[in-house]
Amino acid sequence: MITFHNVFKRYEASGDALRNVSFHIEGSQFVFLIGHSGAGKSTLLKLVSAIEKPTRGQVIVNSHNLNKLGNRRIPEFRRGLGIIFQDHKLLHDRTVFDNVALPLIVAGTPHQEIQKRVRAALDKVSLAHKEKVYPITLSGGEQQRVGIARAVVNRPALLLADEPTGNLDPDLSDEIMDLFAEFNHHGMAVLIATHDLRHIHRLEKPVLELEKGEMVWDDDEDEDSY
Amino acid sequence: MAASVWLHNHATNLARAARSMAASPLGSLMTISVIAITLALPAGLYGALENAQKQVAGWEGKPQISLYLTTDGAAQDANPLLQQIRALPGVAEVTYISPEQGLKDFQAVSGFREALNVLDENPLPAVIKVRPGVTAENPQASRQLFEQLQTLPGVETAQMDLAWVQRLHSLLELGKRIAWVLSGLLGMAILLVIGNTIRLAILNRRDEIEIIKLIGGSDAFIRRPFLYTGLLQGLLGGILAWLLLIVAIALLAGPAQKLAELYGSGPLLGYPSIVTGVALALIGAVLGWLGSRLAVARHLRDIKPR
Repeated sequence: MITFHNVFKRYEASGDALRNVSFHIEGSQFVFLIGHSGAGKSTLLKLVSAIEKPTRGQVIVNSHNLNKLGNRRIPEFRRGLGIIFQDHKLLHDRTVFDNVALPLIVAGTPHQEIQKRVRAALDKVSLAHKEKVYPITLSGGEQQRVGIARAVVNRPALLLADEPTGNLDPDLSDEIMDLFAEFNHHGMAVLIATHDLRHIHRLEKPVLELEKGEMVWDDDEDEDSY
Repeated sequence: MAASVWLHNHATNLARAARSMAASPLGSLMTISVIAITLALPAGLYGALENAQKQVAGWEGKPQISLYLTTDGAAQDANPLLQQIRALPGVAEVTYISPEQGLKDFQAVSGFREALNVLDENPLPAVIKVRPGVTAENPQASRQLFEQLQTLPGVETAQMDLAWVQRLHSLLELGKRIAWVLSGLLGMAILLVIGNTIRLAILNRRDEIEIIKLIGGSDAFIRRPFLYTGLLQGLLGGILAWLLLIVAIALLAGPAQKLAELYGSGPLLGYPSIVTGVALALIGAVLGWLGSRLAVARHLRDIKPR
C-alpha cells in the first residue's frame, strides 16, 4: 500500500526533515507512526498524500508512483485516500451532511448515491441525527467524527490521520481509535501518526518510529516489512 | 461523470454563486454597477454616433448643387437650360432663382439694402439649384452629376454643398473609432474589476479551497463557483448597462428632439433595442467569465494545502 525507498525531504528553511527513510506497508494493515514532535511524522504523511514531493528517493502509494504523478492527476490520486486532520478542517458554512458529502460531490457521484453513502458514513460515527446542524455547534470529539465520516465516505483504500486524537480526552480518543480499528477490519489500510503511546499498547498494532527524521527499527521486527 | 451529475453540479454552482452574491448585496451591487457604467459609456457613445451617422447619411445623399450662370446670359431665357438639366438622370428637383429674385433674397437677409440700392445694375447671376434624386444619393454618383452639370454651357461655376457633410462624416467615423478604442480600454477595466472581486473571494475562501484540494477536488471543480460568480456579475452588469442607457436617453430625449427639429433631421437619439440589451448582457457575461478565469488561474496556484 505504501512504499518508501531511500526517501529524503529537505526544506530550504529548516534543513532535512526526513533522511533516508525506507519502509513498506503491505495490503490493508493498521500501522502507527510515532515519534516526538519534529521527528518528521507530519512530513512523512505529507509525502504519502502528495502534498509535498520528496527531495530524493521514491514514494509509492496505492499503486501510484508519486515521483511521476503529474499535478493534474493528484486530485484523482487523493480520491483514493481518506485524510483526517488534528484540526478537523471542516467547512463551517456548510452543514454536517454537506461536509461529509464533499468528497463524493468532488468525485461526481450521483445524487441518490450521495444521500445513501453520507447517511451510512454518519451512522458509522454515530452522528446520523446531526446531519442538518453546522459543525460549529458540535463538540471537539463530534467534529473529529464528522472529519472521519468525510474521510471514509469515499471508501478509500488508505486512511491517513495526523494526531487525530491530539485535542481529545482519553475516553473520546479511545473511541476514535476503535473506529479506525473497525474501518481497518473492513479492509481499509490505516496509517496514524500519534505521540500517544497508550493507543499502541492498547491496540497492539505494528509501529513505525521516526527520530530526528530517521527511521528507528525495533529489533524483533523484519527490516523491510510490517 | 454522468451528464446528469455534471449538469446538477453546474446548476448547484450557479445557485451557490447567486446565493453568495445575495449574501453580500452591497458589494455585489457595487461590482455590478461598475461593470454597468463601464459598459454603458462606450455603448452609449457608439450608439449615439451611429445614429448621428445615419442622419448625416441622409443629408449626404441630398447634397445641393448650385449652378451660377454666366452674367451675360442673365437676360436670356434660362428655360432651355432648365429643361436640359431636368432631363439628366439622377436629378430630383431643379429650382431657378433669377438675378432679381436673388437680389431680393440677398437684401432681405444681409441688411445691405441701402448699399445694394446704390448699385446701377444687379451684380448677381442667375442661380439654378439642383437636388440629386435617389439614384444619385451616394457620394460618387452625386459627384458625377456635379461634374456633368459643371460643363453645361451657360454655367459659370458650380458648387456642391457636400464638403462639410463629408467632414462631419469623417468626424463621426473618428468618433466611432474612439468609441471602439474606449471599449477596448474599458473592457480591460472590467476584467480588472472582476479579477479583483474574484481575487478577494478566493482569499476569503482559502481554507475551503485547501480542503477541497485535499479531498481530491480538481482545479476545474474549484474554479467553477468563481467562474459562475464572474459570469453572473458580468451578465447582470450588462443588463444594468442597458437599463442605464434607456434612462440616460430618456433624460436627453427632450433637448435632442428640439435639436433634431432645428436641423430638420430625424431623431438624434434612439433607445437601445432588446438586441443591444442581449448583446450587452453577453459581452458582460463573457468579460466576467474571462476576468474571473484569469484571476482564478493566477491565484489558485498560490493556494497549496499545508
